Amino acid sequence: MNFDAAWLMDLLDSPPGADEMTDKLTACGFLVELREEGDGGEIWDVEVTTNRPDAMNHRGLAREAALAAGATLKPFEFELDESDEPSSDLATVEIDDPTMCTRFCARVIRGVAAASSPEWMQRRLANSGVRPISAIVDVTNYVLLEFGQPLHAYDLAKVGGARLIARRAVAGESLVTLDGETRKLEPGMPVIADAYDVVGLAGIMGGADSEIGDDTVDVLLEAANFDALSIRRAARKLGMHTEASHRFERGADPELPPLAIDYAAALIAEFTGGTVCAGRIDVRPRPWEPHELTTTASKLSSFMGLEIPLARLVEIANGLDLNPRTDGDTIICSVPSYRVDLEREADLIEEFVRHVGFDAIPARLPVLATAPGRRNPNWELVDRARSAAVNVGLAEIMTWSFIDPDSDAAVESLPMCPGQAVQLDNPLASTQATMRRSLLPGLLSAVRDNLNQGERTVAVFEQGRVFWFADGAPAEGERLAVALVGSRLGRDRAVDFADLKGVVDAIADELGYPNHRWRRGGGPWLDEAQAAVIETDDGKTIGSAGLVDHSMAKKWDIKTPVYVAELDLAAAAEEIPLPSFVELPRTPAVTADMTVEHPTDLSYADLHTVARELAGDLVEAIDLQTRYTGKGLPSGAVRSTLRLTYRAADRSLTQDEVNDQQEALREGLSRRLGVTFA
Amino acid sequence: MGLERLKKVRASFAADLAAAGSDPDAVETLRVAYAGRKSGLLQDLTAALRELPNEAKRDYGQALNELKKFVEDGLKQAKERAAASAGSSSVGQIDVTLPGRALPRGAEHPVHLVRRRIEEIFLRMGYDVESGPEIEDDWHNFEALNIPPDHPARDDQDTFYVGSNLLRTHTSPVQARVMERTQPPIRIVVPGRVYRRDSDLRHSPMFHQLEGLVVDEGITVGNLKATLETFLHALFSDDVQVRLRPGYFPFTEPSAEVDISCIFCDMKGCGVCSGSGWIEILGSGMVDPRVFEAVGIDPERYTGFAFGLGLDRVAMLQYGIPDLRQLFAGDQRLTRQFE
Repeated sequence: MNFDAAWLMDLLDSPPGADEMTDKLTACGFLVELREEGDGGEIWDVEVTTNRPDAMNHRGLAREAALAAGATLKPFEFELDESDEPSSDLATVEIDDPTMCTRFCARVIRGVAAASSPEWMQRRLANSGVRPISAIVDVTNYVLLEFGQPLHAYDLAKVGGARLIARRAVAGESLVTLDGETRKLEPGMPVIADAYDVVGLAGIMGGADSEIGDDTVDVLLEAANFDALSIRRAARKLGMHTEASHRFERGADPELPPLAIDYAAALIAEFTGGTVCAGRIDVRPRPWEPHELTTTASKLSSFMGLEIPLARLVEIANGLDLNPRTDGDTIICSVPSYRVDLEREADLIEEFVRHVGFDAIPARLPVLATAPGRRNPNWELVDRARSAAVNVGLAEIMTWSFIDPDSDAAVESLPMCPGQAVQLDNPLASTQATMRRSLLPGLLSAVRDNLNQGERTVAVFEQGRVFWFADGAPAEGERLAVALVGSRLGRDRAVDFADLKGVVDAIADELGYPNHRWRRGGGPWLDEAQAAVIETDDGKTIGSAGLVDHSMAKKWDIKTPVYVAELDLAAAAEEIPLPSFVELPRTPAVTADMTVEHPTDLSYADLHTVARELAGDLVEAIDLQTRYTGKGLPSGAVRSTLRLTYRAADRSLTQDEVNDQQEALREGLSRRLGVTFA
Repeated sequence: MGLERLKKVRASFAADLAAAGSDPDAVETLRVAYAGRKSGLLQDLTAALRELPNEAKRDYGQALNELKKFVEDGLKQAKERAAASAGSSSVGQIDVTLPGRALPRGAEHPVHLVRRRIEEIFLRMGYDVESGPEIEDDWHNFEALNIPPDHPARDDQDTFYVGSNLLRTHTSPVQARVMERTQPPIRIVVPGRVYRRDSDLRHSPMFHQLEGLVVDEGITVGNLKATLETFLHALFSDDVQVRLRPGYFPFTEPSAEVDISCIFCDMKGCGVCSGSGWIEILGSGMVDPRVFEAVGIDPERYTGFAFGLGLDRVAMLQYGIPDLRQLFAGDQRLTRQFE
């Protein structure tokens, strides 16, 4: 909020310099964010927190400034001349619903002439960010800016029945507000009505019909207090935010209307040549009652970690107009009407901390139990997955948790689609309306954007949550997805399925799925010829991987082959068992190759499994050495060269022994799988 | 007899190899002579195996294999030498400034880098790292934190709704969840993704926070101050000044906004600190007794402090990233700067 620095200083006796003042204000909770040159002095942009409506005006802030800077607030004095004609003969005021209006003051000023406010007032208004309009409107704004009381001036001639009623709107009512907008009112909204119609949105904005104009002769002035919640709800529903609603929403001073209306009436009379009628109309169903708050110096001292003498507390309480009295160690404060934020002891304690100041409190680390910190399993898990992905050369990216509903719909056919999608009720954009059920749509968009940036090779991963409905309740799970495009990093050749598998296996091993397996399949997302589902030992799907199908790539406008994989981290082992040492071999190993010719539809996994079953205890490992299809082989046939590693723990094997084993294995394979040997 | 011949061939190969040096043509001639498919010496020696009596075959075969390996290795090394010297005028000298064969290197996203650094600082101080759901209920996100319906603070945290639930607007609901299930002493940090319905240069509808909470008997404002100073010194440098000034949050009272002295201009005033010399870095305060009441902790017995900061903002400050939304654009070039 903008404050006119000269005005603020003018409210104080012996104020400090501007630099000191802004520092002191900042230290007690009113950050001076910006100082700039205004008309005839500085403008200070001060951050007044939402719980302090009492300081959203010059006098309220000056009260804090006086205490913080050791100055004093000047007493406020003014003179009001009244005519003999009573205000109550000219207008009446009613409060129909005391839950929305707790006090309603009014005054009549007769015989006003159109005029401008004096130059000094216009300057103060402009420096505070309010445009000067006319004497009467300027006075209402000026009193608001000085005291915090919103006021409204009506042209008395345009108020039907010369009567104002604070009530709630009924069905079908509407109002053209001062800004020219037609507002449809919902039943229950707080309004001000005359004898016939709604003439203002209570505490938010007046109506155009009863607006002050150049031809206005008699002014009916309103200073009321409205219920914060009622104003807030109405303002939100109407999408309105005004100087008045800003203050009423946060809580205005119920004891302020009489002073504010008298002062405003005096100023209006002075500037417009009008006469203030006798007496103030003041309707209030229930008088304001002060309440007391109590705390003790010892409690405060141990809470702050600093010994505070009671005398210092009394000094602060006096500065805040809390009328303190003491009883032993206890300080009892009476809360003034404008401090709507002081409800509990904690609120009182805050006042003392604020004005003792954080700077004065010694920093002392807490003495805590000495147990080591632990990371919760979810963070352990995701970071294990993330570091595995980084270790195989991938760059981590982050994309939005909410995606386009169309992109999300494409996820339905994925083997790992978890359930029904979660839609946002109020998305920022229609393209960010659905919570992602898979990381793949976001990843593909990122791949496309990277390619469009001229990147030829993309090797990225994202780790993050996916969302869905499970039994009607929202659920979320951690995933990790990978995309490879172009050439494998550091190698001079195009990425292929084996690159993807190598990357995914490395991550899966790290997650504690050492015995996961790959099988063909993956649905329409992936090219059927290069698609796999990844499963655990017990058949639980933990991921899918493969080449993005042409049609999907086209949907994302990608023309380059993209290999992707997505892993569900939910199935990961919570704890990875420690590796256990195996005695190192003391005897040499002997390797022997075996080239098997077989149909392509015999999978390597099956060939390997059978070979492993048939091979004796002497076979330590069976690895794929080369694989060949093409010239010299019938179509549909492939040659797989296996390298077998033989070792006996207690002796060196002879070539004959190995040859016998190889021969036996060939026979076995040929019998079980019908394969031949090159 | 066979074995003798193998020995001689081995000796002559060694001599020829030395003579060939790194001359590519000489190496090739040598290869044809010894290992050539048609008339190489090794072919002859292999053929000779068949004519040997059975009892001699085994020893000969073994020795022959060794010789083959010797020749292969020798030729391989000679070829490499020849290839290396092809680019350089002086024999055997390679250009050490040529690029190495690159290994693939991965990189973490800067927001995670910052998160893990901060976690480490607090883990060393004995804090646990917690997490919670991103789709929250109103109770944990607002009501338990002393933000009842219609509270003005809800305006500042414009919320995405999912039916009766919402996307959490801060990591603070995890505080509430932990306090509901744990009695003090509690000391946790909670990093995580949060959402607010707001998008411009300074706001992103999705961002990341880290929240801290300490609850125990006798926790003081001085403890809060020291903890934040210790943390900010560890994160930035021991030279930064830390300033606490009163602020307002519904779930802490008193509350403090925390500034650090500007790390870019040494408090002289610059664009980053808007000329003030201070950078607002986190929000904090003493846990409001109403929050304790809401989660079932005795406010007469326990006090505590809480604090929170934006991880993205720290990443932007530390690495000089100008636009928050750039962090979520999925551009690998951004991440690869942090390899």
